Amino acid sequence: MNTINLNKKIFRNFIITFLSTFILLIWILPLIWSIFVSFKSEIEVLAYPPNVFFKPVLDNYKAAIFGSLSILSELSDSFIIASITTILTLLLSIPAAYSLARLNLFGKKKIGFYVLATQMIPPMGLVIPYYLILGKFGWLDTYHGMIIVYMTFSLPFAIWLMVSFMEDIPREMEEAAFLDKASRIKTLLYIIVPQVKGGIAVTTIFTFMNSWNEFLFAVQLSGNKVRPVTIAMYNFVSVEQTLWAKLCAAALIAMIPVIIIGLIGNNHIVKGLTLGAVKGGGRK
Amino acid sequence: MMSEKSFATYLITPSIIVLLLTTTFPILYLIWSSFQNINLAMPWMDGFVGFKNYIEMFQDKQFWKSFRLTITYTASTVILQLIIGLGLALLVLKIPKAQWVFRLMAILPIVLAPVVVGLFWRTLMLAPDFGIIDFFTKTIGLGSFAWLSEPRLAVISVILIHTWQWTPFAFLVLLASLASLPTDLYEAAKIDKAPAYKRFFYITLPLIRPAIIIIIIIRSMVALSAYAAIYAATRGGPGTATEILNLYAYRTSFLEVNFGYGSTLAVFILLITITVAGILYSIRKKRS
Repeated sequence: MNTINLNKKIFRNFIITFLSTFILLIWILPLIWSIFVSFKSEIEVLAYPPNVFFKPVLDNYKAAIFGSLSILSELSDSFIIASITTILTLLLSIPAAYSLARLNLFGKKKIGFYVLATQMIPPMGLVIPYYLILGKFGWLDTYHGMIIVYMTFSLPFAIWLMVSFMEDIPREMEEAAFLDKASRIKTLLYIIVPQVKGGIAVTTIFTFMNSWNEFLFAVQLSGNKVRPVTIAMYNFVSVEQTLWAKLCAAALIAMIPVIIIGLIGNNHIVKGLTLGAVKGGGRK
Repeated sequence: MMSEKSFATYLITPSIIVLLLTTTFPILYLIWSSFQNINLAMPWMDGFVGFKNYIEMFQDKQFWKSFRLTITYTASTVILQLIIGLGLALLVLKIPKAQWVFRLMAILPIVLAPVVVGLFWRTLMLAPDFGIIDFFTKTIGLGSFAWLSEPRLAVISVILIHTWQWTPFAFLVLLASLASLPTDLYEAAKIDKAPAYKRFFYITLPLIRPAIIIIIIIRSMVALSAYAAIYAATRGGPGTATEILNLYAYRTSFLEVNFGYGSTLAVFILLITITVAGILYSIRKKRS
């Protein structure tokens, strides 16, 4: 009896481990394989069956960084756009979220609903009017044009994330009815902001990552002067041929910032996802 | 002195102004242009046309095809993410020591740009005579498949690509939700010798229902705005086999430079999104 139960248990554990490991492998397979391919020569890449043992070369990384199709300028464009978007988003969303979450705001429910509604606007509904509007101003293919457009998805999401964090602070913190503007601002800066450091970290991570990874606005509203890194991959894909190995190297270089942020900020991201999930935010 | 009310207004006003200018104004512009002829190829025809674009849309076969495809794509990706995510969360719950590995690895697909995901799958995974999946199917004797160039397979492929990238989200949320469930209910059920499937359907499922509904809401919104991964994997092809409404509106506006009709399609996408969000939020309110 006992041995049968034990065998059953071992068998069950084996199945669980096998199944979950299998799914885990599927998750990381494309990434792992892209790393392999990025170290192959363009000839080696085409070998069939796919080769796991080969002499690794750095040519593709050299080409992606220093070559004529270098993605360096795209990396710096994305960095500029994502950083400024993140800073502006934080500056606007922290006071707004404080107001929504903790103050006696006039029309609070309606304003909260409005912010949530703006978050749901599908990007296709924005890219068409923005193409026409920015075109009229001559703001296509400019940093400020791209930053304005990126605020459309980052600001509503950031306000909602920050609201969730602000709501978690204990109430007594800022009970004082008769204050002047200066001391109210001080309360926000010196009492509230330090309490929501974690929330600010989560918001920073999400805003930066979403701006870095954005593609639809990037492909249509930027151009030759300002080129976000998500378009840079297409340097290596043309009608005539795809340079597989260089494409992989470029994609990996482009994704290194978000992969690092993801692995280091792992707990923050899970918290942001689940917080959004409890209270109703989340996008992309 | 400054009253709390006026201070609150003072803090939120900049954000509201920015949102009005950057989101509400362009949407109004979009609605306005959906009643216009705006065609960069035929600028002499431009002007107000009333409901002409809307009438054209309802008679447009490609529109209906894309609409159906959008519904299929959204429904199937959301359902697959939920089922696989829940299954995996339940499995991983049984191996507490390895949970951190799964939590860490689950982040990887989520942080990748969808355009990179689409490109990786098109090249590294699904390309005939090159991709890993193709290698596997050949090795186990199923032969080679034209994953992205046979219409029906292409639809399945883009659904699977989306599911691959976003199941980790459902998994992470459900794992957190499952881990926070009270254990005493289960002890009681075990003492009553309730079988595992009963414990799942009568205890676990009702308790994680709020998390499930939120996952459905968020994932539907994202699936309805999906664009980059499909663009990178198939560009809506072969033919228009994987052209969901987003890609059709994009092609109409930016490749055929027919911005009036493109705006009409985008207004329709906006309306579906609002409808789906409205339905899902009302379900959520009723349940909680």
